[in-house]
Amino acid sequence: MPLKKVIETKQLGRIFKNGEIEVRALTDIDLVIEEGEFVAIMGASGSGKSTLLHIIGCLDRPTSGEYYLDGVDVNGLNKNQLADIRNQKIGFIFQSYNLLSRTTALENVELPLIYNRTGQFTNSKELAQKALEQVGLADRIYHRTNELSGGQQQRVAIARALVNNPALILADEPTGNLDSTTSIEIADLFVQLNNEGKTILMITHEPDIAQFAKRMVYLRDGRVLTDSLIEDRSTKESAIKALENPVTT
Amino acid sequence: MRRFLKIFKVAFHSIYKNRTRSLLTMLGIIIGVGAVIMTISAGEGATMAVENQISGLGTNLLMIQTKSEHKAGINVRMGRPMDKKDFDVLQKNSVYMPNLSPLLAIGAQAIGPSGYKSTMVYGVSYDYFYITSRELQAGNFFTEEDVRTAKKYCVIGETIREELFPGQDPIGRQIRIDKVPFTVMGLLTEEGTGGMQDMDDIILAPYTTIQNRLYGHHRGYTMIMASALSEDHITNAKVEATELLRESHRIKDGEEDDFEIMTQIELQEITGNITGILTILLGAIASISLIVGGIGIMNIMLVSVTERTREIGTRLAIGARESDILTQFLIEAIVLSLVGGLLGIVFGVIGNQIIYKVTDFFIPTAFYSIAIGFGFAALVGVAFGYFPAKKAAKLNPIDALRYE
Repeated sequence: MPLKKVIETKQLGRIFKNGEIEVRALTDIDLVIEEGEFVAIMGASGSGKSTLLHIIGCLDRPTSGEYYLDGVDVNGLNKNQLADIRNQKIGFIFQSYNLLSRTTALENVELPLIYNRTGQFTNSKELAQKALEQVGLADRIYHRTNELSGGQQQRVAIARALVNNPALILADEPTGNLDSTTSIEIADLFVQLNNEGKTILMITHEPDIAQFAKRMVYLRDGRVLTDSLIEDRSTKESAIKALENPVTT
Repeated sequence: MRRFLKIFKVAFHSIYKNRTRSLLTMLGIIIGVGAVIMTISAGEGATMAVENQISGLGTNLLMIQTKSEHKAGINVRMGRPMDKKDFDVLQKNSVYMPNLSPLLAIGAQAIGPSGYKSTMVYGVSYDYFYITSRELQAGNFFTEEDVRTAKKYCVIGETIREELFPGQDPIGRQIRIDKVPFTVMGLLTEEGTGGMQDMDDIILAPYTTIQNRLYGHHRGYTMIMASALSEDHITNAKVEATELLRESHRIKDGEEDDFEIMTQIELQEITGNITGILTILLGAIASISLIVGGIGIMNIMLVSVTERTREIGTRLAIGARESDILTQFLIEAIVLSLVGGLLGIVFGVIGNQIIYKVTDFFIPTAFYSIAIGFGFAALVGVAFGYFPAKKAAKLNPIDALRYE
């Protein structure tokens, strides 16, 4: 049985118009991501990776091409439908966590369920609690976000992305604000979640974090430069070892 | 519904998180609602006081005076004044008006042994005391005989006594009204300050004396006061007086009266209209402070939207619809103004009590003033909350997420 395609783009393009000037942010992106994959998207700044993430995350629309998310043709949806798609099929993780301040971890994780209109999550508190346990924060449920460390805050954000059981987890530079050790822990958490069957798409510009993924897509000037499987994936142990023994040249 | 409740909770939470700022924002609404309640109630209190004062004059009173004409923006009584002939016609023929009295009003300086005061002096007949049902706390009224013989007697109010005879018994003492000496016969029972006019700042004397000494005969009477048999006969009395005077003045059918008869009920209606307009005016002025308060709310909501741009971006990214964001911020503005409105009601009611305690001027807290204040606060919340909420809902999620 062929694996389900979570993401499928065909000839995807995005042009920004600023008066007379046209900027081609993305050109002819053909990308298929199947269920259970863990993909890292890399590229220099200006390579179009943020634009791609916004389109995949249904925050932006392509100017050309087709995009199917979990079998749904996203191009034909209106604003409210896009909001519902984001709510039901995508879990967002941001570089700066974007948690509500002075609000408990539990309430933060519950947030996507508040906006859910399907009525299937009546036990939002339990689900939020379970998601927090999943990311190893069982003992921090009632802590306010400003009482948590950066790594813990990002874990809360990850729990928030998991709580609605989305088809896809989208992480935008999830380790950008964290120190190396914490970054490795977060990356390792992604690996664990992936092992449990979650499909993850992660944007990063840190090669050692990308090395935790199964597959790497490299963008340059809005086009896919390389798309390859990662041979020697990092593990938590190997990464920490590398951290402790920097290679001297 | 559950979702709505949660959004409601979110709004409350955010107000509570910024309680100092929220309270300061609410202050505009608190003061506005309080001011609306207090001014409307004060207007109501004034209306009540005036009504009491008028009904204190006697409930079946008629005032007959020459026709007033509207000239150069003011009402002036230009016609031939009421005079002895009119008075005699009415007294001789009237069935419905058992008591009639001429009234000559004159502003004069009253000088006593220990003080002086500018006041109103009314020249009246003995019947006046029946008509207005005023009573004495000391001494006697002047008699019909005193009126007939134009004795220089007078009856004074409590305010005059305080000024002219501080701490003394005025009965039998002499005062001078514009240089004419009068003997004080009686002291009127206090009516109190009705809010508008001091009912005790008054001197009553026989109209004959006033005519002889102060007013002159050629000017007739200021008015003729009468009382109907009972309240039910007021209309009859008015019709009767109109007919008698038309006949006496030889006014042909189809021509207008050259006099005016005002009953006590009409007087009440007129003053009621005036105080009503006053109340509306005061309320409108107070409402302006509510609008200013609303602008305060809008201002803070705009700041709040800007401050929470990233939060809004996050909410949009995890699946909030525009309408969810709109609802959240609108509820926040409405809750701010409603809580402010409730506090304003408390503030207004307590303010009324304080004014009553301090000035002794009773202000009934009108229920409708509370309704108006609160309703207006809610309206202000919606009206001034909508624009910031719309602004929040229309944010582009990508830009909002990047906002620093």
